[in-house]
Amino acid sequence: MQATQIIHAYKQAPWRVQRQWIGAFLLFVIGAAMIAALYLDVTARTSVAGREIQELRSQITTIQRGNADLETRLADLTSTAVMRQRALELGYRPVQPGELDYVAVPGFVPPEPAILLAAEDTSPQVQTLPAEYTQSLLEWFDERIKFGGPR
Amino acid sequence: MRQQYAVRSLIIVAGLVLVGLAVVVQMIRIQSSEQALIFLSQGDRYAGEFQMYYPERGEIYDRNGHLLAGNRTVYEVGVTLSEVDNPDSMAYILSTYLGLTYEEVHNKLTASPEDWEYVVVQDYVGMETVESLQQLISQLDDAEDPRLNGLAFKPHLQRSYPENALASNVLGFVTRDGRGYFGIEEKYNDLLAGNPVQIWVPRDPNKATEIPRVPNGTTLVLTLNRDLQAQVETILDEALVDYGAQNGAVIVMDPRNGEILAMASTPRMNLNNYGNYFSLYDNGSQYNSSIGMAYEPGSVIKVLTMAAALDTGTVRPDTTFIDTGSIEVGGITVQNWNREAWGQQNMIGCLQHSLNVCLAWVATQMGTQSFYGYMERFGIGHPTGVDLAGEAMGRLKIPGDGDWYSVDLGTNAFGQGVSVTPLQMMMAVSSITNGGKMVTPHVLYSMLRDGHQYNVPSQYAGSPISPQTAQTLNEMLALSLEQESSQALLPGYRLAGKTGTAQIPTEYGYDPWHTNVSFIGWGPVDDPQFMVYVWLQQPSTSIWSSETAAPVFSQVAEQTVILLNIPPDIVRSQAATK
Repeated sequence: MQATQIIHAYKQAPWRVQRQWIGAFLLFVIGAAMIAALYLDVTARTSVAGREIQELRSQITTIQRGNADLETRLADLTSTAVMRQRALELGYRPVQPGELDYVAVPGFVPPEPAILLAAEDTSPQVQTLPAEYTQSLLEWFDERIKFGGPR
Repeated sequence: MRQQYAVRSLIIVAGLVLVGLAVVVQMIRIQSSEQALIFLSQGDRYAGEFQMYYPERGEIYDRNGHLLAGNRTVYEVGVTLSEVDNPDSMAYILSTYLGLTYEEVHNKLTASPEDWEYVVVQDYVGMETVESLQQLISQLDDAEDPRLNGLAFKPHLQRSYPENALASNVLGFVTRDGRGYFGIEEKYNDLLAGNPVQIWVPRDPNKATEIPRVPNGTTLVLTLNRDLQAQVETILDEALVDYGAQNGAVIVMDPRNGEILAMASTPRMNLNNYGNYFSLYDNGSQYNSSIGMAYEPGSVIKVLTMAAALDTGTVRPDTTFIDTGSIEVGGITVQNWNREAWGQQNMIGCLQHSLNVCLAWVATQMGTQSFYGYMERFGIGHPTGVDLAGEAMGRLKIPGDGDWYSVDLGTNAFGQGVSVTPLQMMMAVSSITNGGKMVTPHVLYSMLRDGHQYNVPSQYAGSPISPQTAQTLNEMLALSLEQESSQALLPGYRLAGKTGTAQIPTEYGYDPWHTNVSFIGWGPVDDPQFMVYVWLQQPSTSIWSSETAAPVFSQVAEQTVILLNIPPDIVRSQAATK
């Protein structure tokens, strides 16, 4: 009898109800804080990645310009006039028709220039960004709930 | 006591709620105020900027992958005016490095409009100059010297031609506004330049992926053979000196598919200094006389007259003609080039001795309708459709035109009173080397875009004559060249061709002192792999084509067989029998 009364009194104690409210409130605050922290973390990482993309784009432009420069410089160094001059300096002279020997090679096909060979092998690759760069926070939650991790 | 605390607590809570509400109300008021809209628009303004992206202009290669036109980095040198510490020192340094006057730079630094934040001092500055300036800035920074504070370099690409003047008449050039002029650069300007795109570039890194990719311009591979082009240009330049000619043009074409292997004309200019254009050329047609200048070709057109006559059955190779030295056509007397009678000739002899009287007779035997019908089918008086900017049409007067007279039938038959471009003649004559089918000449071999290669197929421009006629005339022209012991011949190779010496029409009739000399030839006769056209304007050492254009043809043919790896006839026949 006494024990039942104590339990009853405990359940009806006003401070206990207050604690329940406080607990619920704190739970809500902690949950909200966690979501906020997660949101901030994802947003910050997205921003960093975005900045890296911008920098990479800039680097690509610089490298492409550098490539164009190098290609033109190489063409300067191997231009007809330069090569002819170098050949003469090395003691070569233009060949005369009677000095040539021709060898018939059945089935021989002259190779295509490198510029054309490179083009044939290249096809545009479909580049996909990782999900981290495209999905929203809600989509990320949805994916975690449905699949327990990234697909 | 406990109740007092409760009241106080309520008052504090109410106060805090009121303060909170006030904060919220104030936030809403500020955000919906007129000033907020101004701030928002300012924020939008700094959220990013519109940038015009000019794709890298496509490169141009020869058929063996040698770069003929590329791009190199140059710099815009500018100054952020608010950061300038000492305009006098900066003006002095920049004028020294950039080759400008002190006043010029100083004015830009001090007299620019007040609202200007940035001023361009000079554009298209070379990398070497910029590297020197950057080194100086680095040294000044180490010494904490602010004299070049605010100096900025913005890199961009500029067209560059590693071969300088080589093939300049085919390539054309690009001005600083990015537009192509003449040749390939003009004809394929849209392809080469790509599509400039104006893009909103956000500063927000979260939106970085929204910047679209701007594809570069299309890269072109030409049919030109760089080494052959260089040799042909050298031979042409030497010929102008040797024969005292004013200008000239030489074309080498593959008659099987219309691919132009070399196309040289004079004058040429260093494409990296295209500012010289106005000092070199009086008008655009001179830029590439191979396609831009029509002229009376003279006797090379006899090839077409004979082709038409053979094809209609008017004559055969053994048809005889008694040459009395003159013939009357339309009431006008036509004479031979030496005003002499050549007696009995067959059609090979008529071609060999280039007899005007004989060919005028052939044309009259064919009749006006038939002769001009064939000339039309050969494309005389029409552009060839070559893929180069600035092609001329030439002129073929036909019966019914106000300025056509009966005598024109006779004179047109040997190349007077009709104007053509060298390339028109090559296209027409390709029917003889190509089994009766005419090829459309072209310079573009292939296009490269996004890693894909698009080859340009050969195109036929009709079949004006039958394969039998083509074969017969091919043999006739080889024989006539051999029997003439022409200077056009090349030991080891059987070639065919025809000379052309043409008087030059002026306002007062034909110039009695000067001529245009031409030669069209091809080889090897049993399997034509190259066709060469030579045109020299007003040679002074000799007025005759056989003594000027013919030897030039031989030199070009010699270099062509070497560079195209065409073995002598005997080697080819041995290889074929194995």
